[in-house]
Amino acid sequence: MAPKFQIKVFQISSFIKNLTIISIVTLSFLLVFFSKSDLYLINGIKNISNAVIIPITKVISAPVNVFSNFVDEYKKFRSLKFENKILQEEIIRLKKWQTLAIQNSRENKVLKKLLNATDNNLTLVKTASLINRNDTIYSKLINLNAGYDDKIMKNMSAINERGLVGKVIDATSNNSRVILLTDPNLSISVKSVSDGIFSLLTGHGDGKYLVSSFVKENKMPRLGDIVVTSGTAQIFPVDLLVGKVAKVEKNRFFVLPFVDFKNIDYLQIVTSK
Amino acid sequence: MEFSKFLNPSSKLNIILIISFSISVNSFILFPNVNNVFYILFHLTLIYLIFYHYHYYLYVVALIYGILFDILLLNNIGVHLITFLSLLILFIFLRKYLISLSSYQIIFIYFITLIILLLIEQSLANLIHNYKFNMSAFLNFFLISLIIFIPTVFLFTKLDK
Repeated sequence: MAPKFQIKVFQISSFIKNLTIISIVTLSFLLVFFSKSDLYLINGIKNISNAVIIPITKVISAPVNVFSNFVDEYKKFRSLKFENKILQEEIIRLKKWQTLAIQNSRENKVLKKLLNATDNNLTLVKTASLINRNDTIYSKLINLNAGYDDKIMKNMSAINERGLVGKVIDATSNNSRVILLTDPNLSISVKSVSDGIFSLLTGHGDGKYLVSSFVKENKMPRLGDIVVTSGTAQIFPVDLLVGKVAKVEKNRFFVLPFVDFKNIDYLQIVTSK
Repeated sequence: MEFSKFLNPSSKLNIILIISFSISVNSFILFPNVNNVFYILFHLTLIYLIFYHYHYYLYVVALIYGILFDILLLNNIGVHLITFLSLLILFIFLRKYLISLSSYQIIFIYFITLIILLLIEQSLANLIHNYKFNMSAFLNFFLISLIIFIPTVFLFTKLDK
């Protein structure tokens, strides 16, 4: 009886193993097939990975983060004297600008009243802070600590004090994910301020510049031109600051974004009024 | 050291998997290559586990890490999940041929597998989700792989005794 029993156990165990493999492969196939849909399961997995996995990975990678911060602090400390000198010069310069700005602001108010113009076209949805970044070869994404509970939706624009940062591509209850302008997979429709030349910009591979992928009527903007969102694609609100034309070639031009993508702490999620 | 005696090589390699995964999905502005290094280390560890410590639980490991990598790096499930599971399935068929090879040949195949895996991941990201194939990033991966491959193999053989 004993040998027979052993053979039976082996067969059942092998059957279970094969069944597990087949189930995993089938599950994977279904997940890949439905990954782009808004199924409850897919959203649940995304929710768990944002709310549970990211904090765990942050704890595990904390020593690297601490070392990175230490090096950063050391670098800052070394350049303290030099920075102090620059800041003193900047204060003098800014005081002059402040006087000018107050004058311009008064003038602006008067002119707006004369033109009967509205103030701006943006509605602030939420100000959120950065949880972590996924700056990899595949994409340039950041995760924020606010989600659809804070009324953040897909395709809303993310800005900071310097201009357009990116677009919300995914929102879970308490987290949202923003694709940065520097991601090669994101296109934005823009126009140059001085000439009104319409074009499409995408992220360049280097993660520093934005490069034109389409220019209307092949008219190239001038070097130093300021580029803002055109609002034609109806994803980004109109007239958000994007960057400055840094290089012009025969069929394309490069834009240096105003936003410093390495120093993002807080973002404002906005939408058109 | 006392604690390490309680862990078998497979557990140690799984701890390396968790650490390398955690670091590779978090970017560090001052050290942009750190997450690339750990991303490659994760692949190296997974291939090593499949080659030398093959077990059915690796299907669950591949499923979990595949989904998490896909969601955290690409926001779409597919690329890593397909690659990791394909590697596991392919290994079952090729195992009998690998056994007959010398250690140097296996190490060469180990490296080739890593490069092919990274190449397939980028190609699949391009095919399935329309992500742009970044040649310079791939060359960067190749260079990092060349640099860290031998020390990693040395470390793994030490862990494996």
